[in-house]
Amino acid sequence: MEHAALTFERVKAGYKDRMVLDDLSFQVREGEFISLIGPNGCGKSTLLKTAAALLRPFEGRVLLFGKDIRSMRPAVRARHIGVVPQKVESPMAFTVGQIVMNGRTATAGFLRGVSDEDYVVIERSMIYTNVLHLKDRYFMELSGGEQQRAILAMVLAQEPRILMLDESIAHLDINHRYEVLRILRRINRENRMTIFLVSHDLALTAEVADRLILMSEGRIVSEGRPEQVLVSEILDRVYDCELQVQRDPVTGSIHVSGMLEDFNGSTKKHKSVHVIAGGGTGIELFRRFSLQGFSITSGVLNAMDSDAEAARALGVDAVLEKPFSAIGEDAFQQAAAKAENADFLVVSDVPFGPGNLVNLRLAKDALKAGKEVWIAEGSTDRDYTEGKQAAAVVEQLLADGAKTWTNLHDLMKELKGGKERQNSKGKSQK
Amino acid sequence: MVLIDVKKYEDTAMRSTAMHGINTISTVKIALFLVAVPLLLFLSLLLGPTRVMLPDLDTPVGKAIMALRFNRLVMGMLVGSALSVSGAVFQAILRNPLAEPYVLGVSGGAGLGATVAILFGAVAAMPLSLPVIAFIAALATLFLVYGIASKGSGGVPSVYSLILSGVIVSAVCSSLIMFFVSMAGVEGLHNVIWWMLGNLQPPPANHRFIAALFIAFGIGGAWMLAPKLNALTLGREMAHYQGINADMVIMSGLFCATLTAATAVSIAGMIGFVGLIVPHVTRAIFGPDHKFLIPLSAVTGGTFLTVCDAFARTVLAPIEVPVGVVTALAGGPFFLLILRRKMKRAWIG
Repeated sequence: MEHAALTFERVKAGYKDRMVLDDLSFQVREGEFISLIGPNGCGKSTLLKTAAALLRPFEGRVLLFGKDIRSMRPAVRARHIGVVPQKVESPMAFTVGQIVMNGRTATAGFLRGVSDEDYVVIERSMIYTNVLHLKDRYFMELSGGEQQRAILAMVLAQEPRILMLDESIAHLDINHRYEVLRILRRINRENRMTIFLVSHDLALTAEVADRLILMSEGRIVSEGRPEQVLVSEILDRVYDCELQVQRDPVTGSIHVSGMLEDFNGSTKKHKSVHVIAGGGTGIELFRRFSLQGFSITSGVLNAMDSDAEAARALGVDAVLEKPFSAIGEDAFQQAAAKAENADFLVVSDVPFGPGNLVNLRLAKDALKAGKEVWIAEGSTDRDYTEGKQAAAVVEQLLADGAKTWTNLHDLMKELKGGKERQNSKGKSQK
Repeated sequence: MVLIDVKKYEDTAMRSTAMHGINTISTVKIALFLVAVPLLLFLSLLLGPTRVMLPDLDTPVGKAIMALRFNRLVMGMLVGSALSVSGAVFQAILRNPLAEPYVLGVSGGAGLGATVAILFGAVAAMPLSLPVIAFIAALATLFLVYGIASKGSGGVPSVYSLILSGVIVSAVCSSLIMFFVSMAGVEGLHNVIWWMLGNLQPPPANHRFIAALFIAFGIGGAWMLAPKLNALTLGREMAHYQGINADMVIMSGLFCATLTAATAVSIAGMIGFVGLIVPHVTRAIFGPDHKFLIPLSAVTGGTFLTVCDAFARTVLAPIEVPVGVVTALAGGPFFLLILRRKMKRAWIG
């Protein structure tokens, strides 16, 4: 039976007082191009260090081509697995040629010295990575991309069967990143070298890898072909933020992006929301809504109120009444006009008194007009009107179909969801 | 399956002749070096407090003078090469341009041992005990430093913990030395300071022989490690990935470097500057490959110290200037001149 190139058998590993890899098992077949992804601190680097025997697992075994890595001599191990770390620096003025020669050190030994064969291997590695013309330059004076290729040449000179790269392309320019990836793909295809790429760049990863392994908190969450792993349900959970996964219909390449596109300033048509707030209860609402790209109106607020200030700062279109005055008819009519144009109406956890009670009429009108109205929970506790009039109004509104909200995160989800609203209802409860 | 199928290229007679140049050094430089060193060594034989350039070797006095100078030359070569190689190894392992033979507390420990031995009469009672005590104290300090460092970083000590605990232990030792010196009488004070300034008065022959053995062992060991030291300059992790037992190399390197430094200190006291600067200058001229750097620093350091010693015993004759003073005073400007143009090659990171 042919052995897998790399096998983790129920490996628990980590550092002195902190276990990082939690009962991890997986296999990599020879010739595969694997990409390991996952959020920062999920154990990617620990996995790589364990695979290269830099860390000894507490439990479980790591096998390289069927042999326990702990029973291998270091020089033998280096011919099985080569690692390109994120950044390699030498404080001394070695030339690129001398750096690449380090790849042969373990096999050469002091007595045998460097043979013709070694030189052939060194030259071939440098040709592969396109650094031959740099061989007499000082390594430390090269650009980041050239250094990375020189290190790659050095590791290739070890003639490993598995090549692991620890986010080593993350800080390169896009052109250099693709250059390194092309080299990797070439040695993967032509020499059947197994490539294990730890990466942050989900899209780039999806382009080159045969198989993705997604890690989170020391465990494997998902593995499979890129389109199986890169789905927003899984990624949202692992990265703890909302991500969009798009597939290019022409090239089939997968594109993963955060919510940046929905920020203010984008050309997309956004939903609009009218916020009823006051006394500082609207600040966070304004901020969140503007981050999510809603167009926001608000009112009626009292001038100089902290919400009025926040509205001004965030460019929220707010209707203002004189400071510390009850809301007059003029202002109310203006606000009503704005609320009419909004898609939703949201009531913050603003306290109600005789001065601003009239604002709830906006909510009533909105409901009548068939718009969604969201009211912060617990309005009774904030009701300072005589005879709890506000509470009564809210109760009536809820009976007429207004909804309550408790935290901003869920509220944002609900309002953005559109068609997903039905199924995300359950999700937001978690 | 393997990346490069070597046999395939053998068939097509492909030889990477271009590659052979990547780890050689200029033959012109080596030739110049091989001419300069014997000349300088010969020059040092001509200098001495008697102001006689070439003593008549047929007279017993002339013979004695020459023998004395020759012994000083041997001492200079031994101590200078020991300190330089030790510095080169420490700089590679600790990846620090300020590393020198005394970085792990060898000087502090040896100095403390010697001070105690001199002031408390052990030396007066038995002169041979001074180098032995200094040597043992130096090794004890190394183990102490290493122990503290490895405890601090849990297992194998990190480079930084080694440097840090070395500096701290050295500081404690120097304070103790100063305390003892401040308590000492004039006679003891003079002896301690003279020892600490360093000098190349040859110890007895058997002593010298053992020291030479230790130093040869240390330098040889360091040379054997040379390709691995090259790899180690890329960091311990990278060295490990390349199939090098990095911890083993670090430990044996530290041992070799400390052994040579401690031996040098025990026979010649504390001679500063050589161990720090000679590796840098050698790198600046010949490049950083330790396969060349270690033997070349040994010869450079030895020659440098021998020449300095020749000046030290001549300039103010019959008074002998401590050689440790001459190394920095005369060597400093000279090496600065070399480094000014090639600072980058000495240390780039």
